[in-house]
Amino acid sequence: MRLARTVHLATLLLLAAGCGKNGKTASGYRDTIPLPADTMITRMASVGSYGGRFVIGETTGPKTFNAMIANETSSTDVTNRMFAALTNFDNITQQDTPAIAKSWEISPDGMTGTFHLRHGARFSDGHPISADDILFSFSVALDSIVHPSVQDLLIQNGKKWQISAPDSYTIVIHTPQPSALLVSIAGSVPVMPKHVLEAPFKSGSFQAMYSVSTAPDSIVTSGPWRVKEQVAGEKTVLSRNPYWFGVDAAGHRLPYLDELVYLIVPDQDALDLKFRSGELDGLDNPKPENYRFYADNQQKMNFTLHDLGPRMSTNFFWFNLNKVRKQVPGKKVGQIYVAPEKYAWFNNATFRKAVSMAIDRQSMIPSIFFGDAVKNWSQMTAGNKVWFDSTLVHYDYDPDQAKKLLASLGWKDKNGDGFLEDAQGHTIGFSLKTNSDNKIRVGMGNFIKDDLAKVGIKVTLVPLDFNTLITTLRETFDYDAMLLGLESATPPDPGMGGNVWRSSGRTHYWNETQPKPETPQEARIDHLMDVISSSNDMATRKAAWHEIANTVNEQCWIEWLPTIVLKLPVSNRFGNVEPSVIPHRLIWNIDRVYVKHPA
Amino acid sequence: MRTYVLRRILQILPLLLGISALTFLLLQLAPGDFLNQFAENPAISPEMLDSMRRRFGLDQPWWVQYGMYLKNVLFHFDFGESFSRHQPVFVVLREGLANTLMLAGAAAVVTWGLAIPLGVWAAVRQYSWIDKGLSLVAFVWLSVPEILSGLLLLMLAARTGWFPVGGMRSIDYEDLDWIGKTIDILRHRALPAFVVGLIPLASRMRQMRGNLLDVLRLDYVTTARSKGLDEHVVVFKHALRNALNPMITLFGYTLGALLSGSFIAEIIFSWPGLGRLTLDALLTQDQYLVMGAILMASVMLILGNLIADLLLAAADPRITYD
Repeated sequence: MRLARTVHLATLLLLAAGCGKNGKTASGYRDTIPLPADTMITRMASVGSYGGRFVIGETTGPKTFNAMIANETSSTDVTNRMFAALTNFDNITQQDTPAIAKSWEISPDGMTGTFHLRHGARFSDGHPISADDILFSFSVALDSIVHPSVQDLLIQNGKKWQISAPDSYTIVIHTPQPSALLVSIAGSVPVMPKHVLEAPFKSGSFQAMYSVSTAPDSIVTSGPWRVKEQVAGEKTVLSRNPYWFGVDAAGHRLPYLDELVYLIVPDQDALDLKFRSGELDGLDNPKPENYRFYADNQQKMNFTLHDLGPRMSTNFFWFNLNKVRKQVPGKKVGQIYVAPEKYAWFNNATFRKAVSMAIDRQSMIPSIFFGDAVKNWSQMTAGNKVWFDSTLVHYDYDPDQAKKLLASLGWKDKNGDGFLEDAQGHTIGFSLKTNSDNKIRVGMGNFIKDDLAKVGIKVTLVPLDFNTLITTLRETFDYDAMLLGLESATPPDPGMGGNVWRSSGRTHYWNETQPKPETPQEARIDHLMDVISSSNDMATRKAAWHEIANTVNEQCWIEWLPTIVLKLPVSNRFGNVEPSVIPHRLIWNIDRVYVKHPA
Repeated sequence: MRTYVLRRILQILPLLLGISALTFLLLQLAPGDFLNQFAENPAISPEMLDSMRRRFGLDQPWWVQYGMYLKNVLFHFDFGESFSRHQPVFVVLREGLANTLMLAGAAAVVTWGLAIPLGVWAAVRQYSWIDKGLSLVAFVWLSVPEILSGLLLLMLAARTGWFPVGGMRSIDYEDLDWIGKTIDILRHRALPAFVVGLIPLASRMRQMRGNLLDVLRLDYVTTARSKGLDEHVVVFKHALRNALNPMITLFGYTLGALLSGSFIAEIIFSWPGLGRLTLDALLTQDQYLVMGAILMASVMLILGNLIADLLLAAADPRITYD
């Protein structure tokens, strides 16, 4: 025992010698490269100064530095800092802002966009950015082999966007149909260097370019940052692109910080401890159970907990009204998947409304969400400052009314088991599937089960492995009801939600890929979606969205559940910090964040 | 001896073939595939999913996929590409392998460096409070789940600042001189090595204690003692050498477990090893990456067993092969 303790103490003493907080703030950076003719004055609260670094934690590292093929946030968190596009998106104002294009015009018919490029913009190797690079980037985006995810936005009704360059500083985009989101979508195509990537693109090796094992110096970027160091599984370090065209109000080139460090910390609890010990400067995705600790320790630990309101991701469940769309053995096209008596209940709006009114959402909030959630009735949550609509129809908790509605369907508890039966004697009930790894969803499922039992509906909660759930959802349709959530796209505009709201959409969960709308309400929604995706008038678009959301809620096709509130702790050492619920929450404006008092 | 080694190495091939076929089959039996994680992403259309499925060859039946895999492995020594990283499997795995071995090596030093002296101590002081105390502490540590002890030590690190909160190196590692680098690595390695190394300590220590006690009861020890030899000489020169024999076999077997023994600690301590890599690959069904990781672990296990057998023969002249 004594021996063991001595060894332990000796180790402690030896190792404690190397302690001390990492502080690297003094910069001495001097911008020696002449500013471009067209600088971009970036919106920010206060003018900062050079130096320092910001350290953020990520649970996994980037899979690629190739912005075109990056699909998940661990990669796009990094690549979106490295590659600029024609336009940018301001997470706070939710407006498109200039980037490589300094200005643009949209024709009155909404089908032609003319973009004027910035003079003097350069890649991180000093090579000028011209219309050729934009054309190259769009041709990669539209390539059928590379098939980046942005491609689907550039194809409308099977027709591709046409992109041309009348001169080296003008880009003209023709869309086959009017597009309200022309500018936003054009701003989703990362601009990549033609002089480096054209040869690999032609030889078919584009996807292997700019991988995480590429030498950092050889990665040529168009955005404010470039890769300084990449250590797989440990960290990614970005440093400033010395040619970036963004400047502050005083004309100093951005970014201010010398380094942006993404530290890989796979475990969520370890992330939290690293923030508490000061090794991380902010958390992008903290656990809600830690909100209380952060709120109580703000002064003591010199950080601010930013309350950003409800997240853009929603929780809900729906009833399976799907029909067989493609011939499969044992099933005919048009056949329903659920048992006929269940289909009759699920297809009845009164039943769905009664279910909605039987759920006590308020009581879920303190126990499942630690108090940090709000009731939510739309995909455009209150976190979405532009599209949130507080006047929507909704059917909240009213168990007496729910019982009356169920009684009006002629259902009674005939055998005294506490559950209702329909006219044929079937016990009213359904199974509710969700993914077992999501504690919050399973928790809500348990509340729903108890609440519905009180009005006489028998719910069986079935938590499943995520992959099994997706197979059920997409291939076998073997479920009564399913509890899932949806993350809003970026930009968080209902026009991006065609897959969900159109009756032909694949994410129109309750009855997907309908050859033609099966209900008059869905036909109307399809028409309104056309208005939203083509009109350029915001009032018209908002009115259309209001009607869609109201129709969905009146029909109770979606049974809405509470949405979690997002709070992010960020160290007070930094200026211009403006976190937002829209991804990339903490670092979307990191090019203008600065260290307040460099030591 | 040489033919024995050769025979053992030749046996590896059919074994690996069997392991790879079984792994591939199990991966196929698991519901869904790599593309499932994208199915609910509104930014990714069914057309894109189909195009990815074709590109990865996931539209083929599993025996066609496995046949292609075998062909590439056997004729081109090409173990496929990771779907998520667009990089050859062994390029991805190589990054984690060295780090995992580094941690596992440190953990082995902790285990064996403590197990042997403490085991001897406990045997020599059999049934004393030292013996009982050592067992108690070792078994308590054995019973505490790795995930709990790991998090507790991390909290200690965060509270006191004595140790870094996970990770393998400081952010400023590159700017340090060699002394600073050495200390930096030691500080980062200390806690995870402790967590991983102390788990098998109880069993190793008890084994060492038992072996030594067995030997101490043998006739030649009694003879040595009756000759009037110093107790130190009896224990360390005569008894200990013979008692170490089974420990050598055990040590060889632990070589095989080196790759997988520290997975949980790696995740808690943000250690960039194979643990997280393999787990992610498995969860996302990045199938060739899983295959590569499992084949590599199998090779390590088989070689570890072989080394154990050879070490035994080297240590004990009574054992010969052929």
